[in-house]
Amino acid sequence: MIRKAWQEWPVTLRVAIATGALMVLLGLIASQQVLSTLSSLQNERLREVAQSHVGGLKVALGSFVLHRDVWEVYDALDRAGSEGAGARILFSAVADDRGRVLASSDPTRAPIDLEFEALLSDAVPVQEVTASEGRKSVRIVEPLFVQGREVGSLLTELDVSDLLAQRRSTSLALLAANSVATLLLALTGYWIVARLLSPVELLTGQMGASGVAPQQIPAEDIARTDPAFAPLLHNFNSMIDAIDAQREAERRLADRERFVSLGRLSSSLAHEINNPLGGLLNAADTIRTYSDRPDVVRNSAYILDRGLKHLRDVSRAILEENRRDRSNALLSFEDFDDLKILFEPEANRHGQQLDWNVDFEHSPACTIPSAPIRQIVLNLLLNASSAAGKGGRVGFVAHAKSSGLDLKVTDNGPGLSEHARQRLLSETLLEPGGGVGLRLVRELVGEMGGEIALERIGDLTSILVHLPKHAPDQ
Amino acid sequence: MRRRDFIKNAAATMAMSLPFLGRAAAPFRLGLTPVFLDNDALIIDRLRSSVSAAMGESAVLIQRRTYQEITAMLLEGSVEAAWNCGFPYLQHQDRLTLIGVPQWRGRPLYQSYLITGASDTAKSLADLKGGTHAFSDPDSNSGYLVTASDLARAGSTPVEFFARTIYTYGHRNVVRSVAGGLTRSGSVDGYVWETLAQVEPSLTQRTRVVVRSEWMGFPPFAARKDRATSESVRRFATVLKSLDASDVGREILELLYLDKIVEGEESLFDSIKIRMADLPERR
Repeated sequence: MIRKAWQEWPVTLRVAIATGALMVLLGLIASQQVLSTLSSLQNERLREVAQSHVGGLKVALGSFVLHRDVWEVYDALDRAGSEGAGARILFSAVADDRGRVLASSDPTRAPIDLEFEALLSDAVPVQEVTASEGRKSVRIVEPLFVQGREVGSLLTELDVSDLLAQRRSTSLALLAANSVATLLLALTGYWIVARLLSPVELLTGQMGASGVAPQQIPAEDIARTDPAFAPLLHNFNSMIDAIDAQREAERRLADRERFVSLGRLSSSLAHEINNPLGGLLNAADTIRTYSDRPDVVRNSAYILDRGLKHLRDVSRAILEENRRDRSNALLSFEDFDDLKILFEPEANRHGQQLDWNVDFEHSPACTIPSAPIRQIVLNLLLNASSAAGKGGRVGFVAHAKSSGLDLKVTDNGPGLSEHARQRLLSETLLEPGGGVGLRLVRELVGEMGGEIALERIGDLTSILVHLPKHAPDQ
Repeated sequence: MRRRDFIKNAAATMAMSLPFLGRAAAPFRLGLTPVFLDNDALIIDRLRSSVSAAMGESAVLIQRRTYQEITAMLLEGSVEAAWNCGFPYLQHQDRLTLIGVPQWRGRPLYQSYLITGASDTAKSLADLKGGTHAFSDPDSNSGYLVTASDLARAGSTPVEFFARTIYTYGHRNVVRSVAGGLTRSGSVDGYVWETLAQVEPSLTQRTRVVVRSEWMGFPPFAARKDRATSESVRRFATVLKSLDASDVGREILELLYLDKIVEGEESLFDSIKIRMADLPERR
């Protein structure tokens, strides 16, 4: 979902965001490095401060501890803690060489002779002192030497809250500065990338979303972009021209294909008109010869009537085929009668067996326009007839259901060639020819939101067309 | 602040008084001990420098940490006179003579206080058994002898009676030790405690006086007997005893919370003698 939304954003924005994210990452890494350095510097400073406090006390205390002079040790600790610089010392205690407290700055907490060990939790030598977050003091334990001899130990608790506060404020200031710098870098990065990618965005915009035809890029827009991209944009415009030309060619081809089927029928239809003409002329001659014989005249008039009606039906079907092409009439049962009239002579001419089965269970077809259906059926029948050959079999089934209209055209020919199959079933651009208007069939079915399927069972090839009740274009 | 003023002013006043006796050919050397005043090195240094400035080359103030050292200097002649304690004076009474005794609150007498922390419930010395105790100086009457002799009378010694004893070499330090909790109890000069109660009440308020001793001779000014008749010592004694007669002198006494310096009699120290008798090893 997020991935999809991300992919829908303009490429410029995405690249800029990616650049910004990298800048932020860089800022974080840089901040981490600086904070780490700051931390070690402050630890060093803390050690220096601790060293100076502890060092001073060690010098002051050495001989007193050697002599186990409780008062002088206490006095030194008390003064160290109460005078100016000693404000940092929260607590200190000194032990003799037996590990017993000699004196501490707070005798209630560490009275004389207390086990020194009990005071040493968390205490570290001065060189190992670090300021950890959340602790406002550090505890330091150091041995006391007099003339190279260890005479006791010193424990000091130093208040480092000011150093930690300073560290915190420095860290915050640093983070704030880094954030601002990162933001500026990200914005600059966005601006630069947006500028660099503007031709790409222009190209992307003109290509259009799926289903929308690509548009030419205006010449003034090309002039404004980076000269390095101009050839690309010109090539794009040339490609658009080529695609437009191809579409126009296809449209013209489709128009032509509409007449191909009638053309194919013309000879059969001519025979269909010509064959009854002999009978009709004979009937007229008979009337003239036997004008006094009413039974003969009546019979001949009947023959004339039948023949003329057939000619009327044929000519009406032809006219209808042309007229319907330009009308918005909806499909009806009669359309299939017309189709049968138009196609039957062609089947007969080839001595083919025609199985015709039209079943209007419902009349959903009333929502489907007749002209494209007639074109589809006629084209498919002509293809079937030419595939079936002399004495072959051609079948047609139309089945109107509540969900739509199913058409099925069958023949016992050798099956569709690969070329014909592509014309019928794929969008691949192909040279004209190869089947009577199969590409036109595909386009018409597509326009009505229908589907085409091809199957071969035994020696029968069937083309199945399903058209939904409500065609999208209707 | 007031404590420092007290010390500083005392020093300055002392220095101002010295020109009276600064006319002798040899410099007059007065021994002092921080046991009585203060053992703050900075303050002692100020005292020394201001006294030197006031005396010129004619007087020198000599500071030592303990009564023992000042007494030894007095006896060997390194100083002409010293403001010492009654106890070392009596220890060397055969060789020393009184040249003046300060009078405090109308009498040349003072007491020793046995003090504890303000919240301590002890009512007598016996209640402090097993605790830690601060003495000011092993040669101090009020800061050692009184408590030690009390214990001797009870058949004990400080080492046996207390878990631990320490010497602070300063009466104020005894008060600090008890106030800060370093020791449970302490033996202190009553004059010093009362003076501190006025100039540094925050310190004494953290302590409580459990026992006050009998009245005893105030720490005297003393000189070696064989030098008592010398010109400088006699002039110094005269200056001391006439301090209350001059404005400068009264100012000194006021800052020291003393009335005046009087002749003093040997009998003032009889009560100390009695206590010394209870400590035969210290006589």
